[in-house]
Amino acid sequence: MPDDFILKIENLNKSFGGVKATSNVNYKMKSGELSAIIGPNGAGKSTFFNLLTGFHRVDSGSVFYKGRDITNWHPHSIARLGIARAFQVSNIYHTLTAYENIRQAILTQQKKTLNFFTPARKLAERETMELLDTIGLHEQAHVTAGNLSQGDKKRLELALALGCRPDLLFLDEPTAGMSAEETHDTMMLVKKLNMELGLTILFTEHDMSVVFGYAQRLTVLHLGAIISEGTPAEVRADENVQKVYLGVEP
Amino acid sequence: MNNKKKLLWIAAIFAAALILPLIIGEFWVHIAIQILIMGLFATSFNMIFGYMGQLSFGHAAYFGIGAYATGLLIVKASIPLHFSLAASMIVAGLSAVVFGYFCVRLTGIYFAILTLAFGQLIFYIVFQWYSFTGGDDGLQGVVPPDFLFSAYSYYYFTLIIVTAALIVMWMIGESPFGYTMRSIRDNDSRTRFLGINVRAYMHVNFIIASMFAGLAGGLFGPFNRSIAPDLLSWHHSGIPVFMAVIGGSRSFFGPFLGCIIYTFLMAFITGFTQYWPLVIGTIIILVVLFAPGGILGILESRIKALLSWKGIDEIGKKTDDESY
Repeated sequence: MPDDFILKIENLNKSFGGVKATSNVNYKMKSGELSAIIGPNGAGKSTFFNLLTGFHRVDSGSVFYKGRDITNWHPHSIARLGIARAFQVSNIYHTLTAYENIRQAILTQQKKTLNFFTPARKLAERETMELLDTIGLHEQAHVTAGNLSQGDKKRLELALALGCRPDLLFLDEPTAGMSAEETHDTMMLVKKLNMELGLTILFTEHDMSVVFGYAQRLTVLHLGAIISEGTPAEVRADENVQKVYLGVEP
Repeated sequence: MNNKKKLLWIAAIFAAALILPLIIGEFWVHIAIQILIMGLFATSFNMIFGYMGQLSFGHAAYFGIGAYATGLLIVKASIPLHFSLAASMIVAGLSAVVFGYFCVRLTGIYFAILTLAFGQLIFYIVFQWYSFTGGDDGLQGVVPPDFLFSAYSYYYFTLIIVTAALIVMWMIGESPFGYTMRSIRDNDSRTRFLGINVRAYMHVNFIIASMFAGLAGGLFGPFNRSIAPDLLSWHHSGIPVFMAVIGGSRSFFGPFLGCIIYTFLMAFITGFTQYWPLVIGTIIILVVLFAPGGILGILESRIKALLSWKGIDEIGKKTDDESY
């Protein structure tokens, strides 16, 4: 039965020792969506991404991407399908320059990494510069990534994911540690990527105020389980959410 | 412009290497050959250590396999040297296909221990297999063909082969594959999420590095006229580690520079004292404490403007900070 869901998750479970990090999660995403998963720290947001991208093995349940069962595939095989992720803590190449960081993602996407004899500096120049422009790191192109400011590292982190030219993008707290202005800029960029490139984006966030202006659909995780789902307005009005997440007594 | 300058430097060094035997005596020509061979060995080791970020303590096994391949082909089958050198690379590469498969499953200290264990395993096989390898007697009469018999002609022969091998390794290091190795060294998990099969790439790199170690071993046999199983032992695996640390593992030429310093000092110091290990031990301690980027690390940050080498000082500082 064909459907137009780019991502479909059925009865996903994962425990670490006695702790249930993901509990019977069912989730669907349509192509072109910009949605968010929210929940307090420890709600299981990162674990959820780790299960979808093959970093952790699932205990039970299935993950379908474009109708294909990708449950427990290796991370690199999942990435090859067009699923990219950006990490909460910037996860970049510290001794390479910003330019080299991004070029690595692009060369991988272009399947040129088994080229042994063409100098890498002669490849993917245009694409790399374009992406540096998009992300606003043009001037820092030749700065060693380890020496970039925290905000720039975070931006580079996002650029690495974009360099994969994904169809589906997971962003784990893309604005963590950013100033209010940087947060706004980053979220505008995320929105732009969604609107202009048609990228399907799922991001996590613990700060609710960030989410409300941008995501079309919200899912609230608490102790590994989905407790609410809907438009931002619906979720905000949900009594359960107010209780466990906003700390408001009903 | 930068690259032109670099090329000029390299051309000048190569020209100096060409006229070197005309100036120095035969003893030092022998030392120069040894520098070339061990420099190739150390550079191949650094494909794993510097570029991939894993410490191999068994690289001598592939050097030794290469040496025995050429030695046995010359002694038992009278195969011409250029064919046996190619065979050395292939046999060393095939061994790395098998042993490397297991080694790249692990990283860090476990990788080091496993390479050491496999290295010693191969060493004991060669050491015990009297009927084939000559066991601990080694292999005698590994002579080069007549036209390469003199130290001078063997020097030029080695110079050409080592230069060609270094050019190929340099190209690989600058290629997308070489940068993928740096990526794996910096952050293997991120590389995985970009879509790289990290283990497979590490395995390929391990095989290439072992092939060049095999080539170095193949060159060593006819130079030394004999081969001993010691060439495969963990002791011999430690030498390229020393060379890479002394010269600087974060630059392509670092291990070769380390090899020049190491071999020259050894030749010089063993001339008047038997306490060579004490001297080299002291040097290693000083380098690790005061110049973790190696000698080339210091040189490059000092004369950065001259070499126009970008970002080297940051790299030098980074060597002790790889815990992420």
